[in-house]
Amino acid sequence: MQHVLDLLFGYHEGEPMLFSSGTFWALFLLFLPLYALLSTRRNRTMMLAFVLLFSLFFYYKSSGLFVGLLAATSVVDWGLSQVIARSSSRAMRRACVGVSLVFSLGILGYFKYANFFMMNLSAIVGSNFQPLELVLPVGISFYTFQSVSYIIDVYKGTIAPTRRWLDYAFFLSFFPALVAGPIVRAKDFLGQIAEHRPASRHDLYYGFWLVLVGVVKKAIVADYIAQYNDLIFQSPTGYNAFETLMGIIGYTMQIYCDFSGYSDMAIGLALVMGFRLNENFNFPYKSQNLTDFWRRWHISLSTWLRDYVYIPLGGNRKGTARTYVNNMATMLVGGLWHGAAWKFVFWGGMHGAGLAVHKAAKPHLGAWSDVWPVRALSWLVTMVFVACLWVFFRADSWGDSWLVLRQVFVGEWPGMAGVSAFASARMLWLALMVLIISAHALPSDWRMRAGEAFVRSRLWVKFLIFVIIVQAVLQLQGEDVAPFIYFQF
Amino acid sequence: MRHYRELWLILAGGFALFFVLSVFDGIALTEDYELRSAGFAKAVFGGREAVAEVPEHVEEIAEEAKVKDVPTDTTSQTILFIGDSMLDGLSPRMADYCLQNGHKLVSYRWYSSSTSKWGAQGTEFLRGILAQYKPTYVFICLGANELFVSKPAEKCGPAVERILESLGRTPYVWIGPPNWKPDTGINDVIASKSAPGCFFLSNGMEFERKKDGAHPTAASAVEWLDSVMRWMPHNCAHPIRMEVPQKPLPAKAPGQIIIKLRNPNE
Repeated sequence: MQHVLDLLFGYHEGEPMLFSSGTFWALFLLFLPLYALLSTRRNRTMMLAFVLLFSLFFYYKSSGLFVGLLAATSVVDWGLSQVIARSSSRAMRRACVGVSLVFSLGILGYFKYANFFMMNLSAIVGSNFQPLELVLPVGISFYTFQSVSYIIDVYKGTIAPTRRWLDYAFFLSFFPALVAGPIVRAKDFLGQIAEHRPASRHDLYYGFWLVLVGVVKKAIVADYIAQYNDLIFQSPTGYNAFETLMGIIGYTMQIYCDFSGYSDMAIGLALVMGFRLNENFNFPYKSQNLTDFWRRWHISLSTWLRDYVYIPLGGNRKGTARTYVNNMATMLVGGLWHGAAWKFVFWGGMHGAGLAVHKAAKPHLGAWSDVWPVRALSWLVTMVFVACLWVFFRADSWGDSWLVLRQVFVGEWPGMAGVSAFASARMLWLALMVLIISAHALPSDWRMRAGEAFVRSRLWVKFLIFVIIVQAVLQLQGEDVAPFIYFQF
Repeated sequence: MRHYRELWLILAGGFALFFVLSVFDGIALTEDYELRSAGFAKAVFGGREAVAEVPEHVEEIAEEAKVKDVPTDTTSQTILFIGDSMLDGLSPRMADYCLQNGHKLVSYRWYSSSTSKWGAQGTEFLRGILAQYKPTYVFICLGANELFVSKPAEKCGPAVERILESLGRTPYVWIGPPNWKPDTGINDVIASKSAPGCFFLSNGMEFERKKDGAHPTAASAVEWLDSVMRWMPHNCAHPIRMEVPQKPLPAKAPGQIIIKLRNPNE
């Protein structure tokens, strides 16, 4: 029994609590009845306090004592936001924004980028540098961006600061979105806290449906196809060209299912609690160009970068050349946000270059862009570009990235016998790949319609679907459960 | 409130069902396929991890088969590494060893394979790849799919002999299966058929397992192969140079590392 209590309530370093884990669901079973009791307008403060405590506990389970940093960030930000709102002195208001940014971004910079910058600096000056033993607090990039947007929005007068620290701490630590997004914007969320309404029956079951969709994407599809993809990236030159190509396509699908699966679970859990989070993915692999891709992929990050980096830099208001520069700078920040390594900077820079090429080419395409062969070609070029850049995202090193890509061109092509051997050995891997690619080929509203059907279904049908999905997860759990890829950011 | 109660019932009902199923620790649906359990009962009741017991006779066989220190062959080798899905974890590490020590590696996985498969219809296949790649050294990792075979001496013994006959005079090391439960005798069979100093007993080692409870994790597989390489210099009949890989590894020559997959239905 002690083991169970330790599993449920203890902190285990390196084992963040995943939404798809039994531990989380056991705790959620305890959480739900109390939340339901408190989820009335009359008990709003109690509900906020209860969810805040649960969120802090959730973060403790994932990051241990770093929960103190989260609490400190909320206290500092909230205090400064009060000063910003009340002060009539522009200098004071700007100073408060500066202090908040230094504090939030300083913590992020120290934990995430200190070693990266020191190592590069030492390489430049030729000194020896022993990397600091730093552990990156889970989800710090996500809640830091939430904190930055809140302070800037209060400064600009876009939103009013919360009257109580409790409301702000609730927003910053809201557990469904705490460790891997979506990045929740205060302007979308604070109003929901103020006028909290209990979840309707539709919200509750649609939210549950989204959670189940997320579990299928993450724990069934992404975790299973990752087993093969990992083999390819572990031995970049060990497999033939066809197998390597399959590994690249596999990772392209894996990262989508992993991250969008997490987002679905987060959005679904929030909806079960009566809160609406904005969509984070909108079938990104349907995109026919990079601009469209970034409107569909990690929407909460791309809109955040647009509003707090691209537009403040001048956006497209300062001429064509400056637009390209701003675009590139924004994508470089986006790349660096994903990780403190040159491969992420390269990844962001290449996306910036790709966006610039699309922007430059768009006026010349004119009516051609609507002809289906051009659309098909555009889609193919976009997907090849995106998939190749994911290699840099996944590979262990810069050198390995090139080895993987090179292997597709210089590796041995196995012929039909080899392809047949692959298909036989990887039947389920291929089936899951076909499933996820087919999902992109369906009309965009199919998922919503399926969700509505789930909401309308009888209780036993919902139970059966839940049981089948959980058993499917257990059956396919043949390997280590990979933590969510975006946990590391 | 009523809706929350309904949702809670779905979740709690599901948990109760999976808890009950987990008491049985895997229900066989067919001969080869079982319903996996969530492990809740084990967590609550503190069920013991299945630890493989090493029967005394296999240790005796291994002890008798010990060879005196043989000088290590430091020349470059062409290594053929064949086996079942255990090669998923072992091959990448073997590739590192080969890069570090200047050997060539051809790794051939055959998922769900066994000594019976390699030794029956696979012998021709094995002879084919031996002829094609002309290895100077062979590593084999087979037996994990035959841990629970009844009468392994009858069912697997002849197949093990045929595999070893196929190798001819090529030196080899047979890496025994990483038992997760006591076997019915496959380790005995392989140990007794292998030449002295050619069988590495993995049974009894501690492994960190993947969720399937059988395959060692990637990190554990690295330690597993490292153990084999540490064992080689003083216990193996044909030790070859296998220094521990150091990062960065030497650059790979074209064709130095080949990892192949065999059609499981062949």
